[in-house]
Amino acid sequence: MLELRPILSALWRHKVSALLIALQLGLTLAVISNAAVIVQERIQQVTRPTGVAVADIVTAHIAPVAKDYDLLQAFRLDLAMIRALPEVVAATVSRAPLTGSGSSSGVQAEPNREVGATPAAIFMVDEHFIDALGMQLVAGRTFAAEEIGEASETTSWRSNTVIITQQLADKFFANTQALGKAIYFSGEDNPMEVVGIVARNLGPWPNSTRAGNAIFLPILMDTQKHDFIVRAAPGQRDGLVKLLEEKLAERDSERVITVKTLEEQKNRYYAGDNTLITMLSGVVGLLTFIVALGIIGLTVFWVAQRQKQIGVRRALGANRSTICRYFLLENLMIATTGISFGVAAAQIFNHFLVSAFNQPPLPPATVASCALALVLISLVAALIPSLRAANISPATVTRSL
Amino acid sequence: MLKMHKVRKSFRTDTIETHALRDFNLEVKEGEFIAVTGPSGSGKTTFLNIAGLLEAHSGGQYLLDGDDVSGLNDRQRSRLRNEKIGFIFQGFNLIPDLNLFDNIDVPLRYRGFKASERRRRIDKVLQQVGLAARAKYLPSQLSGGQQQRIAIARALAGEPRFLLADEPTGNLDSLMARQVMELLELVNDWGTTIVMVTHDPDLARRAERNIQIVDGQVADLEYHANPAALSA
Amino acid sequence: MFGYYIALALRSLRTTPILSALMVAAIAVGVGAAMTTLTLNYMMSRNALAHKDDVLYAMQLDNWAPDRGWQSPNEMPWEINYKDAISLLHSDIPTYQVAMHRWGGPLSREDSELRPYSAEARVTSRDFFALFDVPFIYGGSWSSDADSNPVYQIVLSQQTNEKLFNGENSVGRTVNFNGAPFTVVGVTEYWQPSPKVHDLNNGNFKKSAEVFLPFGLHRSFEIYSWGNTNGWKGEVIDSYETHLGSEYVWIQYWVQLDSAQQLEDYRDYLTGFIRQQKAQGRFPRPLKFGLSRPSQWLQLNEVVEDDDYMLNWLSLAFLLVCLVNAVALLLAKFLRKASEAGVRRALGANRRAIFTQHLVESGCIGLAGGLVGIFLTTATLALMRQLQMGALDSVAAMDWLMMSAAIGLAILSSLLAGLYPAWRISRTNPSIYLKTQ
Repeated sequence: MLELRPILSALWRHKVSALLIALQLGLTLAVISNAAVIVQERIQQVTRPTGVAVADIVTAHIAPVAKDYDLLQAFRLDLAMIRALPEVVAATVSRAPLTGSGSSSGVQAEPNREVGATPAAIFMVDEHFIDALGMQLVAGRTFAAEEIGEASETTSWRSNTVIITQQLADKFFANTQALGKAIYFSGEDNPMEVVGIVARNLGPWPNSTRAGNAIFLPILMDTQKHDFIVRAAPGQRDGLVKLLEEKLAERDSERVITVKTLEEQKNRYYAGDNTLITMLSGVVGLLTFIVALGIIGLTVFWVAQRQKQIGVRRALGANRSTICRYFLLENLMIATTGISFGVAAAQIFNHFLVSAFNQPPLPPATVASCALALVLISLVAALIPSLRAANISPATVTRSL
Repeated sequence: MLKMHKVRKSFRTDTIETHALRDFNLEVKEGEFIAVTGPSGSGKTTFLNIAGLLEAHSGGQYLLDGDDVSGLNDRQRSRLRNEKIGFIFQGFNLIPDLNLFDNIDVPLRYRGFKASERRRRIDKVLQQVGLAARAKYLPSQLSGGQQQRIAIARALAGEPRFLLADEPTGNLDSLMARQVMELLELVNDWGTTIVMVTHDPDLARRAERNIQIVDGQVADLEYHANPAALSA
Repeated sequence: MFGYYIALALRSLRTTPILSALMVAAIAVGVGAAMTTLTLNYMMSRNALAHKDDVLYAMQLDNWAPDRGWQSPNEMPWEINYKDAISLLHSDIPTYQVAMHRWGGPLSREDSELRPYSAEARVTSRDFFALFDVPFIYGGSWSSDADSNPVYQIVLSQQTNEKLFNGENSVGRTVNFNGAPFTVVGVTEYWQPSPKVHDLNNGNFKKSAEVFLPFGLHRSFEIYSWGNTNGWKGEVIDSYETHLGSEYVWIQYWVQLDSAQQLEDYRDYLTGFIRQQKAQGRFPRPLKFGLSRPSQWLQLNEVVEDDDYMLNWLSLAFLLVCLVNAVALLLAKFLRKASEAGVRRALGANRRAIFTQHLVESGCIGLAGGLVGIFLTTATLALMRQLQMGALDSVAAMDWLMMSAAIGLAILSSLLAGLYPAWRISRTNPSIYLKTQ
């Protein structure tokens, strides 16, 4: 038994209130579907695999106080000490990925070319780096100890061998085996033979377009920019932070020592994205909540206004579910109107966000699921006062005044 | 005091035009106490709304205190209502959230009196209706008769020339109704003109003059000599 | 009359506490969201050099690759290289000019128990303090020969002086920086522009430098910038000297040009300089340089990011929904009390009085919403500071202007929201509410 006509005429008498609710639902759909698609994209971005064992890695930086400090010697002695610790799985000295700072350079598959270089992050590492970073070697070999050269920022150094990421290998040598091929720094003729391929490494800047292009060179570098990268045994990481501080100070107390977890540095790098995710999720949640409250408030008001009318209907034989259905149907009609307006508004809003702020386009599936969720929420919100309406006693009529 | 000449009021819905009043003629003199009776739907309430400037008439002439009110805007009408007219309703229409003092205060606020003047007037009318001790009570704490006396006090506070009462005793038992009626007669004795709509013939008989409205027109004018009025 | 309306509004709000709370919450949440992003955008758009905006210029030179420009809106690198900086410092056209970059190292006091700690440093030519208007508490900048010769003099920030010398006048005392003794020549007052307009390459809202060092020290310490160093061609760097002579850009350059004539002269000077370099086979791209005022520099560097603008729009949309919500609830609330309005009309209130009374009631809801909104904004900003792990500490905070803006926005929104419901209630025919049904 569908009583659409009386609902429609009742709605017409409350057209402004009904329109306001519909408008609210529509605008909400526009906001939350756009927020949802941005959140979705950012979560994917932030949680995608990094290629390294983020959760187990600790980095340590030493800044010597003495002016003519032998940094290379310190690296060797410190590393020997660190590797001997039982909590440590592996350690190397290099720059940690995922931190937002690092170095990169243009790389080519052919010598002496300057145009069209592929930007790639550069990591200077020793033979322990794959273990220390917890990466996965998918082809070839890692560096041998005797392959590791020594250099400083002021010496000219070039390597004959290189290890690259799968992503870079695919880019340069699509469909062919990259192992044994050579790559070159842009504009140079020194061949670097690819001896190994690691599955993945997002490099220093995971949010950049060049993330995932990385090359590893077998060089122990005399630079203060390098950190010890230490992979702890499972569950040992937090203890290792303290331990490293102590042990490094113990070996030479005249240094400024900074020990951090890689996880913290990664979180710091992604702080902007994480903030956006939290804020937008908050917006979605609160907005939905506010709209639900608004619907409850208005339905309560309508029910109160029509208390007598409901009593009359009940006295004339309408049962509880009829009354309840009446209000739910009324709400459903409002919601449908609002949602159809909202679908259009969402597209317009998205168009604006895409063109002005480089946000992702809105897929129909997201709009649809947000719309469905909103309709359900509005029905639940209407259900509460509707049930109360259904409980209005038919006796209301007789004891009026 | 009040003069209506060929006043017309029609309501229009999509399909039908109904005439609530047509060629309505009435003159009320200063100091009169008039009872308006008539069957349900005859136009009594419409007459009262127009007389009280709550609704505008559609045609004809309405002179209040000698001034034609036809062309007045909302501000002017509201001002006249505030200064010259007092209302008493069947349902009392006290504002439930306000205590008695504040209820009587409402028209005085719109009049723009100073606080001291408002207080003086409120105290005075509370005395007159005999409820001075209950100024801080809420309407719900009073009996129906007391509520109606407060409503009368509120109507009187602005010292109107003209009191419009719509079934003032309709919701009251007979004892209370008599008290309210006596109060109205007292007010009339002080010089206030009263027009009272009622369907109770006993009450109507106590007025100086009775008017019957039938089908939106004054049916016949029947002068009714009130002994009390004659002796005054 | 206004006082009467306020009293009526408060009474009315008290009689329907739940509905009132709902409306206050709607306004508060909307204002909270809008003010959070507005505050961030406002704080991020501040210009600490606004008072010198018409005389200061950040300089850029286009020495990039022949086939491609730098990836910035004006296709020029943010920084210049060392050898160009040294050449340009010789110009006598600008009133002041600064070549500088970020550095750092362990800092300690010789005769102190304090353990050495890693200090943020700024290596700069001596005009820095005059150009950026950094006042001194004690002493002053180093002598001008320190910009070209190794002179071991240092300027401390107020906080550093506090830490090392308990705030005493430390001019003439010695500190140890990067393993070498430096003589303190000056202590600056607290100086923390936010955003750090003078240095937008190293975190826009980070702490300013803790010590300042002369520009003539590079060779003595083989200083590499702690900021970005970028190059476009494979250059063989086999000594520090080749690093200094390379095309790598890592130096920020500012000039102060007080008159239009000076600006004109300096443009000519730069044009001449680039022509001269082109003749020597450098600067392969079309002749181009940039002189941006601080306000333009902040925009060019996109200090306020797309994400911030986007959040701003989203939060305004949020506020709009909250407003529509408030309109619906206000309408419901006012209509529920339509009979009271009817009585007031009968007692002589004109439409305007009824309208004003209800608008005042909306305004009161707005005021309450604004106060709660300030609280929400403060809480959200605190959450943001935590989520941003320190990167936004200097901007995610409300000042008095933003607090009053929050109240203003709340009252304005609630008045807007109340407009229709108040109008509607003032228009209803009183007579239908007076008759007992």
